[in-house]
Amino acid sequence: MKLARTAILAIASAGLGSVAVVQAQDSGAEAPEMNELERRLGVDSVLFNATIEEEPDDDLLELGRLVAMGSSENGGSGMACITCHGVDGQGDGSGAFPRLDGQPGWYMYKQLQDYASGDRPNRVMSGIAQRLTEREREAVSAYYAAMAAGDLDRAHGDLEGTLLQWGGQLAAVGSAEKGIPACVNCHGPQGTGLPPSVPYLAGQYAGYMELQLELWKEGTRDNDSMDVMSTIANKMTEEDMRAVSEYYARVSNPAGEGAEPAGEYDLPSAE
Amino acid sequence: MAGFSRRAVLMQLGASGLAALTPGAALAQNRYAELDTQPWSFLDGNEARFLASMADVLIPEDDFPSASQAGVVDFIDLQLAGPYGQGAGLFLEGPFGDGTPEQGWQAPHTPASLIRTGIARLESGDTRLVDLDAGEREEFVKRLSEGESFDLGDVPVQTLFDEIWALVKEGYFSDPIYGGNKGYAGWEMVGFPGAHAYYTDHVDKNAPFPAPPRGIAHAPGTRQSANTARPLTARAANATQEEG
Amino acid sequence: MVTELPKTDVVIVGAGWTGLAAAKELADAGQRCVVIERGDWRHDASNFGAPEEHDELKYARRKEHMIDTPIKTLSFRNNSDQTALPMRRLGSFLPGKGLGGAGIHWNGQLWRPLPSDLEMRSHYTERYGEGILDGMNIQDWGMTYDELEPHLDFFDRVCGTSGVAGNLNGETQEGGNPFEGPRSADYPNPPMKASPPLQVFRDTAEQMGYNPFHMPSANVTRAYENAYGAQLHPCTYCGFCERFGCGYFAKADPIICIYDVVKDHENFELRMNSQVLRVEKSSDGKTATGVTYIDEDGREVFQPADTVCLNAYALWNVHLMLVSGLGTPYDPQTGEGTVGRNYAYQTIAAAGVFFDDNVWSNPFMGAGALGMTIDDFNGDNFDHTDLGFVGGGYISANQTNGRPINYQPTPPDTPSWGAEWKQAVRENYLHHVGIVCHGSSVAVPGNYLDLDPTYKDAYGQPLLRMTFDFPENDRKMSAYVLSKAEEIARNMDHVRAVSTVNRAAEGESYSVVPYQTTHNTGGAVIGSDPATSVVNRYGQMWDHHNVFVFGACLFPQNLGYNPTGPLMGLAYWTLDHMKNDYLQNPRPLMDA
Repeated sequence: MKLARTAILAIASAGLGSVAVVQAQDSGAEAPEMNELERRLGVDSVLFNATIEEEPDDDLLELGRLVAMGSSENGGSGMACITCHGVDGQGDGSGAFPRLDGQPGWYMYKQLQDYASGDRPNRVMSGIAQRLTEREREAVSAYYAAMAAGDLDRAHGDLEGTLLQWGGQLAAVGSAEKGIPACVNCHGPQGTGLPPSVPYLAGQYAGYMELQLELWKEGTRDNDSMDVMSTIANKMTEEDMRAVSEYYARVSNPAGEGAEPAGEYDLPSAE
Repeated sequence: MAGFSRRAVLMQLGASGLAALTPGAALAQNRYAELDTQPWSFLDGNEARFLASMADVLIPEDDFPSASQAGVVDFIDLQLAGPYGQGAGLFLEGPFGDGTPEQGWQAPHTPASLIRTGIARLESGDTRLVDLDAGEREEFVKRLSEGESFDLGDVPVQTLFDEIWALVKEGYFSDPIYGGNKGYAGWEMVGFPGAHAYYTDHVDKNAPFPAPPRGIAHAPGTRQSANTARPLTARAANATQEEG
Repeated sequence: MVTELPKTDVVIVGAGWTGLAAAKELADAGQRCVVIERGDWRHDASNFGAPEEHDELKYARRKEHMIDTPIKTLSFRNNSDQTALPMRRLGSFLPGKGLGGAGIHWNGQLWRPLPSDLEMRSHYTERYGEGILDGMNIQDWGMTYDELEPHLDFFDRVCGTSGVAGNLNGETQEGGNPFEGPRSADYPNPPMKASPPLQVFRDTAEQMGYNPFHMPSANVTRAYENAYGAQLHPCTYCGFCERFGCGYFAKADPIICIYDVVKDHENFELRMNSQVLRVEKSSDGKTATGVTYIDEDGREVFQPADTVCLNAYALWNVHLMLVSGLGTPYDPQTGEGTVGRNYAYQTIAAAGVFFDDNVWSNPFMGAGALGMTIDDFNGDNFDHTDLGFVGGGYISANQTNGRPINYQPTPPDTPSWGAEWKQAVRENYLHHVGIVCHGSSVAVPGNYLDLDPTYKDAYGQPLLRMTFDFPENDRKMSAYVLSKAEEIARNMDHVRAVSTVNRAAEGESYSVVPYQTTHNTGGAVIGSDPATSVVNRYGQMWDHHNVFVFGACLFPQNLGYNPTGPLMGLAYWTLDHMKNDYLQNPRPLMDA
């Protein structure tokens, strides 16, 4: 909400990169091994999650890694993804920048397209997205999509239980009284996302989600299909938004689906 | 892997090509029975073997599991023990008449009693379906599907066949929370992504959509539904008793 | 011991589309309304959300939202030489239960009648001469399309219907249905997206000189505030529409479109889990005094009312009249009496199209009213001279419900089980579409509803007895329309095989077993002649002027369209006349 928006604006206007990089380094996170990401592409579900126009291969992932580190054909994206979103895709801990690790590739690619076109206005991201080629957008989306979305290793603040309970109720069954459909309708099992179109909410930063709901409500953000999120956000109060955001921030988002490739089913042997 | 059913006793024999009537096969059958760590809710061992035999003729193993491997017998067991099996969807007031095919179900039975009575009458002789070889089993199911040469009293043969075949398909393709479709076998086979569904951005695209299936109780981070289907009542050791 | 409650202005039997619309309109008009519903309270947000609602076994197979046959069913026979036996299990059609009624599990295919449909006897007689309708009880509805249009339009704005207008105020519009009656306003929302098979169907139909258009859909395509101020959300094409409630607020239904805006009204009261047994009559028999029902605690209760509205499902409205002694039961021997007369159904056939790998249907992506349709062979949109039948149907490539238990398309000559069957399902599931022929159904003297002499329901009342088979007219019509659908299918690109099914095929009888459609019509029909209709053209009973009847039971014969649009047009027409005429001065609105 107000706090989070201030954070974004501050960084957007401050020249900034170095500050954020320090934060990312402070978090002690490590970039995932490339061969680990490539191995994960052997899992159908991860491949489906990461595929955009073409099936990602090691070349595409490597390109994505370079873009994440700040390179681009046009001489740099202006700012490395990792400065705000972290080398592990888990953001910088401020809550202002969303986690990207394991988000659906197609979803992230579409956001980059929308940032570039202005359909999702954002002073920082629009400029970055515009400097990337189509293939670079695809590559960096696939790169983050192939990461396993593990649990966040960060503490949440204390919150009154009734608010969390209300958030959980909105997430699971919505509100008949307010005409709000449940989040889980579209956002996948326990809010863990529904590739390729719908991002996960489980384990995402509460501040980021709350800000997005406000942006949907005021119409600043309207880049989803047919405005469904604006329609929903319009029916929500600030308290509803906070409740559901804080709830989902606390939901576990287990490491990427299908960590080991699905084996053949086996038959009980006749021994 | 643990996702597939070990409870259905027969098709393993068929799949491995063992001659069913050899002593070795009989031993193997007992061994499979010992893998049953859970009791059946409704079925007894003979009924389970009959249904497994029949189900695996209807949906045999190929690149994808057979019906019983996908948990269909477990599914049928739970269904027959539950409201559906006990007649929840049936008007069962008499008098009962034969009726025409167009008048639908007129048997004086719940689905559970229809199947129990039907199997008992089909298996009343010396031969058990489970003991036949693969070709004989297929021939039996074919005759049953055509309703020929069976007199099962007040159990209409066609109704019995239709009911079992409907259950087998339901068990193969329904959400895994009901005990069948283990490891999303049926959904993987056809390419159905399951209960979590949002296709606004894709419905007009002429392209494959190979989304991995996710059931109602999908366990995130796995390729499985949470294992929620449990036998309804403890009839422990029922199956193994039958082996004796 | 019957408990008598304080009198209310209006008692409404059934909380589905027509019952809630009646409650909303009449409550706003100052009438105290009591709505009595047999089923449970439920709501889209709390009861129909995914993923729990996306349970094909529970809702599509075990039919959780539908009427329970052990409580309420009917008996059935093909003709009066047979003995009717109970429909022990649901099959051919699926009446609903609970708040919202069958309006919860509908598909949202929201049509208007053709102008000629409403004047069917006059129209055919004028165009083809006397004799073409011999042997059939074809009747005019008693009102014209122009009279109904404002009400059809209003319901479009209650549902936020999606589509492309074909006729705006008499001007033909590109991309719409050129045969439809004039619309006074465009559709409130743009059409649905077209899935690949629908695109192929559209191209082929155009090449063949037909006029394809998007099926009118109450699956809303964008955020929409309806005529009552309720907010609907856009459809996600989740593929769980028919037989399911919609947790997305995207399929217009009576709860989110009407109930939510009337639930807090001071003139509105809803009583759930209450089974109406009969309508009570005054001592002179000329009016109704209220209804007797079993309340949720099992008590028998009398609710007196000035006005009684019958808003149950078509079949149950007729049942309620018969057990209450309202009107005169139809006698098939003499042709006299009207209650139960002119029962009709819907004549369903389909061509199945099996594509090669160039066309991906992905049938799990779908919506209840996701269809590409031609209307060239519906109603009297084509010349019936020498065809030997009247009526017709629309032909529509529909992608509505590719859920795997019920959707296992296999090409002709595939075995019905076993290894080859399994292989065929696997190969064709993602490359198949059905082209439905949704045909009209004429009323004939031998098809009717009455009370069963033998079987009783859970309340000890005789079952409704249905005597029905497809009339010869409809068999010919269905074969003709199906042949046109098959021709389109065979002309489509990338087609490997085409299968056909015709529920009204020559030599086969109507069966209550396979699902066809929940479009039971007639039995209490509307009209301007008391000898051939139960209610006058305003929906008011000829015999009891304070009883108003709603729903598809009013249709004199069934048209080639889904009934919800026409029956809601009739409902708002009736309510208009109640509010603006009858309630100020209760009396028969037409002379018998």
